[in-house]
Amino acid sequence: MHYDPVLAWESMPTLLAGTATTFAVLLPVLVLGLLLALPVALMRLERGGKAVFAASYIAFFRGVPSLVLLYLVYSGLPQLSVVRDTFLWTVFSNAYFCAWVGLTLTHSGYMAEIIRGGLAAVPPGVVEAATALGLSPRQALFRLRLPMAARYVLKAYQNELLIMVKSTSAVSAITLVDLTAAANTVFDYTYDPFTPLVTAAAIYWCIVNIMRIGFTMADRKLNRHLARG
Amino acid sequence: MNAVTQIAVPSPVRRETPAAVAISIRKLNKFYGGFQALRDIDLEVGQGEIVILCGPSGSGKSSLIRCINHLEQHNSGTIRVNGTELTHKASDVAQVRRQLGMVFQGFNLFPHMTVLANCTFALRLALRLPAAEANDIAREYLARVNVQDQAAKYPSELSGGQQQRVAIARALCLKPSIMLFDEPTSALDPESVGSVLRIMEDLAATGITMVCVTHEMGFARRVADRCVFMEKGEIVEEGTSDRFFSAPSTARLKAFLQQVL
Amino acid sequence: MPEMGFVQQLGIGALMTIKVAVLSYLLALAIGTAFALVTLRRRLVVGFIWQVYASIFTGVPSLLVAFLFFYAGSGIVASLASLVGLTVTVDISPFAAAVAALGMVYGAYLADLIRSAIQNVPPGQFEAAKVLLVPQPATWLLVILPQVLRLALPGMTNMWIVVMKDTALISLIGLKEIMAYAKLASGVTKEPFIYYVLASVFFLGMTWLTYFVSRRIESWSERGYKPVVKQEPAHAL
Repeated sequence: MHYDPVLAWESMPTLLAGTATTFAVLLPVLVLGLLLALPVALMRLERGGKAVFAASYIAFFRGVPSLVLLYLVYSGLPQLSVVRDTFLWTVFSNAYFCAWVGLTLTHSGYMAEIIRGGLAAVPPGVVEAATALGLSPRQALFRLRLPMAARYVLKAYQNELLIMVKSTSAVSAITLVDLTAAANTVFDYTYDPFTPLVTAAAIYWCIVNIMRIGFTMADRKLNRHLARG
Repeated sequence: MNAVTQIAVPSPVRRETPAAVAISIRKLNKFYGGFQALRDIDLEVGQGEIVILCGPSGSGKSSLIRCINHLEQHNSGTIRVNGTELTHKASDVAQVRRQLGMVFQGFNLFPHMTVLANCTFALRLALRLPAAEANDIAREYLARVNVQDQAAKYPSELSGGQQQRVAIARALCLKPSIMLFDEPTSALDPESVGSVLRIMEDLAATGITMVCVTHEMGFARRVADRCVFMEKGEIVEEGTSDRFFSAPSTARLKAFLQQVL
Repeated sequence: MPEMGFVQQLGIGALMTIKVAVLSYLLALAIGTAFALVTLRRRLVVGFIWQVYASIFTGVPSLLVAFLFFYAGSGIVASLASLVGLTVTVDISPFAAAVAALGMVYGAYLADLIRSAIQNVPPGQFEAAKVLLVPQPATWLLVILPQVLRLALPGMTNMWIVVMKDTALISLIGLKEIMAYAKLASGVTKEPFIYYVLASVFFLGMTWLTYFVSRRIESWSERGYKPVVKQEPAHAL
């Protein structure tokens, strides 16, 4: 088994197109997942029905594999008449849309739990001080608690984000040609599995490690005040 | 006649010269990287002798006691324990450790084992005693340190003083001839210190050899046969506890005693 | 309504999922423990091998690793064997590829978890065992392991759930586990919704079971760490 650099070079356009698909799936998911996670995390910190709902939401979307969610959204939902007989059908027959929905739900479940943990770690004295200074609860949340929580959860967010990059490989199951699927396409044409898969692995590795470096820099900047000496 | 009287006159031999030597340390050096923690240490501890090591923090007294049971490896010099030279060979280390009991500043009890299991653990695994015999020995020593009622509890359920007494009992179970104490009361709250010191005094009276690093000067004065003052990795002064406290000869010990007394 | 025959097949697939997940996890534990132990002390060569291994297997999707092992595995084994002068031909089944991929990927994560747990056992515990003349194997097994387990258990539980969920993804290499049968049933009956819901229920149930069991193990491993607080009768007002 040997690595064929010529084939790797020739398959680069296909693999880069796959990389573009991977990002086209990933970026909306990261934004939407975060937006969805915030209210869920806040509900989780309250009492009563809202907290129960939020807890179930988190438990469900963290407990079910993203592949199951993708299948459910892509081929399960169109079976229901609400979807099949309305305009929703056009929307749900779009693989990109389904990938965004499925992965966003998973991501939001994990992110809600991370944000909850970060908010819970903010010392209560800080919020009391803010109230005493006349900040409204809303101001206290956006100006104080969330920025503080963001610093606490940076490491957990890094882990989750890197997991999401790798999770996008599941979208090949619903016909999208992401980086993993692109490597398989090259294999189908050339009967050489080793070269395209290793090349794709190298591209993933670069993406993941560039993000790691980015996080290390962000961590240094955000948590300057914790630095020793 | 005259000659006879002359012979009968007791010669001024120093009484404390021990008949048998328990620990003998010669020219001991210990480095941590470039830092010299122990510098040419010479120390002899006789059998049944109670020796107190004191000195400011970082003076090397803990390093010394940890070298004796090979928790730290010395770089040069010799350590003999009851005649066995402590080399870095596993069999020598085991032979030496068999003579020694060790009590740590932080107790180092096994948190997931009950008090009784802490004491029987080494009896069962190191000495391979049957459970019943190990239990009997452990209960005997737990009674001697007054924690027999706590045998079924976990260490975290005990006060600091009780935990340290369990640690002493655990060490005694193996019937060592020499006990090493590394700041046994430094991690304790003031109320617990007394109970541990009392146990150590009782122990000193049994004739066991003890080497103890401590800042408890009152205890040292009452119990010690000899006190050793260390600073910057060297032994600065040593002497009987009377002379040590009432007539220190070096300025450094004087200054130290003024600070701690 | 789901047809019983397909539900039965789903059950067979579920057993396969559990089998793959358990074997992968055991392999990951073995790899993780081995790497944790050899990288405890800083040694240049071992440390470098570990860095390369961890960097690769935490930087690449497990699905891609599984594809690589499945399609190129026999070639990789053959070339590795030829290095030592052997001629080996092996057929890599989806099952073997899945277990190897998941085990090697999550072994990298577990190694970090286990190593930091070992490092968080106070050094005094090793010292106490040494001066008590406890033989080394007994020290590791009876003194250190229980404490490592307590520290690593929450992380290990999470990792198990991740491995189990990733088994679903690995079905894409052609593994006949629950997702493969759910897809098959969906295609035949044209009722995908119900079968995917059943699959979700299976995974939710396994997650719940995991937490149920892990809470039991955790309270066992926590013994001795929290003082037992006796519930006193509430005071009358």
